Order: sequence, then C-alpha cells, then structure tokens
Amino acid sequence: MNKNVIRSITVIAVLFCLLWLIGLGSAVGEYYAGKPAKVPETNTVSKKVENKKGLTIVALGDSLTRGTGDETGKGYVGMLLDEIKEKSKRPAQLTNLGINGQTSNQLRKQVQQTEVGRQIQKADIVLVTIGGNDLFRGGQGLTDFKTKEIAAIEKKYLDNLKFTFEQIRKNNREANVFFIGLYNPFIDLDQGKEMSKVVRHWNYDSAEVSAAFPKIIFVPTFDLFELKVSDYLYADKFHPNTKGYRLIAERVASLLTW
Amino acid sequence: MNKLIQNEMMKLIAKKRLIVIALIIGVLVMLFTYAQYKQVQTQREKLGTSDWRTILQQQIVDTTNRLSSSRMQDEWKKQLQISLKQQQYYLDHDINPAEPGAPTFMRVFLESSIDLFIPLMVMVIASDLVSSEHSLGSIKLLLTRPVKRWKVLLSKYITLCLAISLIIAISGILSYLISGAVFGFKGWGAPILTGFNVTESGLNTSAVKLMSMWRFLLMDFGLVWFVAIVVGSLSFMLSVLIRSTAAGMGVMLAALISGAILTNMVSSWESAKYLFMVNLRLTDYMKGTAPPIEGMNLSFSIIVLFVWWAAALFVSFFVFTKKDVY
Repeated sequence: MNKNVIRSITVIAVLFCLLWLIGLGSAVGEYYAGKPAKVPETNTVSKKVENKKGLTIVALGDSLTRGTGDETGKGYVGMLLDEIKEKSKRPAQLTNLGINGQTSNQLRKQVQQTEVGRQIQKADIVLVTIGGNDLFRGGQGLTDFKTKEIAAIEKKYLDNLKFTFEQIRKNNREANVFFIGLYNPFIDLDQGKEMSKVVRHWNYDSAEVSAAFPKIIFVPTFDLFELKVSDYLYADKFHPNTKGYRLIAERVASLLTW
Repeated sequence: MNKLIQNEMMKLIAKKRLIVIALIIGVLVMLFTYAQYKQVQTQREKLGTSDWRTILQQQIVDTTNRLSSSRMQDEWKKQLQISLKQQQYYLDHDINPAEPGAPTFMRVFLESSIDLFIPLMVMVIASDLVSSEHSLGSIKLLLTRPVKRWKVLLSKYITLCLAISLIIAISGILSYLISGAVFGFKGWGAPILTGFNVTESGLNTSAVKLMSMWRFLLMDFGLVWFVAIVVGSLSFMLSVLIRSTAAGMGVMLAALISGAILTNMVSSWESAKYLFMVNLRLTDYMKGTAPPIEGMNLSFSIIVLFVWWAAALFVSFFVFTKKDVY
C-alpha cells in the first residue's frame, strides 16, 4: 500500500473532521444566538401569472366542498372536475380549500389570507359552499331554530357571505363564482317542515346577496333533497352520500359555459 | 503516535470497508432519489401544478382537515398543529420549505438518516476495531511493542474519528452528486427558516431567523457528525468489552433500533430522555419539530450525548489498559 495515498487520505479526513466541528460549533452557536435577524414580511401577492394550461378551479367552504360522506372521497367538486375534464378535453386544475366544519366566520378569515387570495386570483371557476355549519351547528340548530337567536346568526352569516364575495371579487373580476345553496337534511324529522322554512329563508337571502355581485350564481340544492332525502344522505344523516353529491355536481355542471 | 495512526489507517484502508460503505450509501441514495422523484411526479399529477405555493396551501388545508377529526391521539394532534403553523409561516413569508434541488435533498437525507442509517454505517467500522484484533490474534503482536497500551487504543480511536468524518463526507458528496443529476445542482443560497421554538403551548415563532441553505447544511452536517462520533464511541467501547464482533454489533443494533421505536412512544415516560438513543435526532431541533419528550432541547440532548460519549471513552480506556490478554 502506497504511503502517500494513506497520508493524503488521512489529511483529507482531518480536514473534513475540522469542517464538521465548525458545523457543530455554528449549530450550537446559532441555536442560542440572541437576536434573530428580521424575517422579511411579504404581504404583496405576486402578480406574476404562471403559464396556465386549461381551467383552474378553486373550491372554498365546508365539509361539502371537502366531500365528507362520499365513499369515493371526491365530493361534488371532484365529480365536477372529472366532468369538466371529460367534456372540455382540456386539463383542469383543482385547488380544494374546503375545511370540515368551517363556518362563514372562518371562511371570512380564510379568504383574507394572502395565498388564498392568490389562488382565487388565478381561478377561472370558484365554487363555494358555506352556511350549513352556521345554521345547523351540528344538530343544535334543530332545537333553537324558532327563537330570535337564529335571526342574529343569520344576520352575521349574511354579513360574512357578503364580505367573502367582496374579497373574491377584489382578487378576481372575471371568474364565474358558483355558490351552492343549503338543503335541509332534517326534512323527514318531526320539525322538518318548520326547519325547511328557515332553510328556504336563508337560501332566499343568500341568493339576494349573490345577485348583488356580477357573475356570482346561486345554485339551489334544496329541491334536490326534498323528496327521498334519506336516499341521498350519508350514514351521519347530515352530509350527502355519493348519490347526493352526484346530484349537486350535475346541477353545477349544467350551468357551466365555455 | 503518528506512526501508530498511520498504521491503523493503513489497516482500515486495506480492509476496504470505506469502499463498501460508499457503495451502500450510493445505492441507497439512488433509491431515495428515485422515490423522491416519483413522489414529486405523482403530486404534480394529482394537483395538476408544480407551483409550490399551491401545493403548500393544499397541504395546509389537508392538515387542517385531519386535525378536525376527533379520533386522533393528542400527541399526534400536537405534532400536526406544530407543522401546520410552521407551514403557514413559510407560506406567509413566501419561502419555499422544500426548494427543489440537490441541497434540499441532502438536507432531507441527512435529517432522516441521522438516527439510524449513519450510525449503522459507523458501526460497520467501529464495532470490530478492537475485537477483530482479538479474533485474528494480532492483538498480541500489537501489545508486545514498546508502546503504552493507551497509546495503541488512542491511535485506534483517532482513526475511528477520522473514518467517521470521511463517512459523513462521502454521504454528503454522494447524495449531492446523485440527486443533483436528477433535481439539479442549484439551491445553495435558497433561504430556509430556523429557530422555531416548540413550547408547551405550541409553536413559538418569535425567534425565527432566515438562513442560507449552505449554512444550514453545514450545521446539519456538524450535528450528524457529532451523533456519529457518539455512536461510534459507544460501539468502540463494546468492541473493547466484548470479544465477539457479532455480539457487540448486535447489542448496538438493538440499542439503535429500540431508540427509533422508543421515540414514538416514550412521551409519558420522562426519565427515558436520559437514554442516548432517544437523543439522536439533533437535526429536528434545527427544523423545529416537537421533541419526543417534553422539555428536551438541543443543549440537553448534546449534554446527554456528551456524557454517554465520555463514559464510553473512560470505560474503553480503563478496561483496555487493565485487561489480561491471552
């Protein structure tokens, strides 16, 4: 074995040993360094539009947007996406920002986020479902829907909805916005009739808010679930099942133009 | 002393262990590179975009949804909340947490190999440094020379440290070259955030600072090196204590693997934090993930490892100088 080879390998090893020691030292030093350098804040949405191919869809809202209850996990948004891809023969990109249990108040906060704004900005189609959690509150809405309280909740909800639409329009003037209305999952229960009245009222007011904005379309779903509601609901008797989502997706698909 | 070290280096190189290790690392890095490449591709296909902001936003929403599930362990929930907050912080500051390129791959590779893979490679060299002399019978030849025993052992230990430095360097260079061929060699100057503080109430972002990738990597390498040295010293000790190389390796392997398992379940057994194997994931502190046991931080882990290291060295030298060799 050549002595020089061994010597040079040893020297290289020593050098690396020193380098790693420096690394270790700086790691410990950095971890306990007192004052952090300021991280630059960026609140400006980059205006750079990437080269888009095909349609961009952004879905906002609650568990309905998420697809909770659908065995395939797609929800009406996923089904709609498939249909668009098939019909338009163009690639389509979906950003699903739906969060389970989201109320209109949380959505109001979500649309104010910089990145969410950027997503909306590049969208061709925006899909929104909201209000179910405001109204039903996981079943609590069944007991107090007659009281004065519900009026206050509705006022808040409509206010949030208006603000959300304003934000969407501020970021994107062109996109078609489809706002999916509420259905009454409790229609078969004892108080179903009275509950339906409240839901219809909310839907009417929501449609009014939507109508105040250009290209924001209110999509009713109340009638879809009016007959045989149990056939279209998931085991939790609240969210739609695969069939139910298909109904919603078909209704929205029929409204699309390109 | 110089001669002794050279002699040991010669033995090490003649055994061709380093080449074997380099081959293992090379093959594994190729596997990881391919896996990573596939992952990026499927993600791109699924989301229909390669825009990292969109992908990150989608991840944040997905995590939020997972958090809303009620059937989730508290531990796991907390971990997710921390990573969620971190992701949101990256997004708010317009910094890509995984800038594509070889340096990011190196970082991920280092972070995931620090507690098992790199220690294993170190063990390949350390575990038979002394015991093989026993099994070959050459220990007698070595000890009959007019050199103090502790000097013999020290030369072996220094050689081990040098070999470990080389192993870390090899893994760095190989992962850079191989992954660079696929992901590109750029990205040394990419910004990265460090200094996330995990406290009882969640993630504290007040001390977060911006850093260049190359500095972050240098620090990661230093930490990996330190862990490798500690593990190497421990298996060095076992190689002095136990004559059979296989038995020594077995003990060390069991300890390392138990460490990997323990970190997932020790959160309620607090005194486990004094075991060396739960403290191996030093790079996690730089990244800012929740430690396996509450109250652990970088200096704590380094001190624990340091104590284990000192004890291992003390035992090795004490036993080796006193032991009867026959």
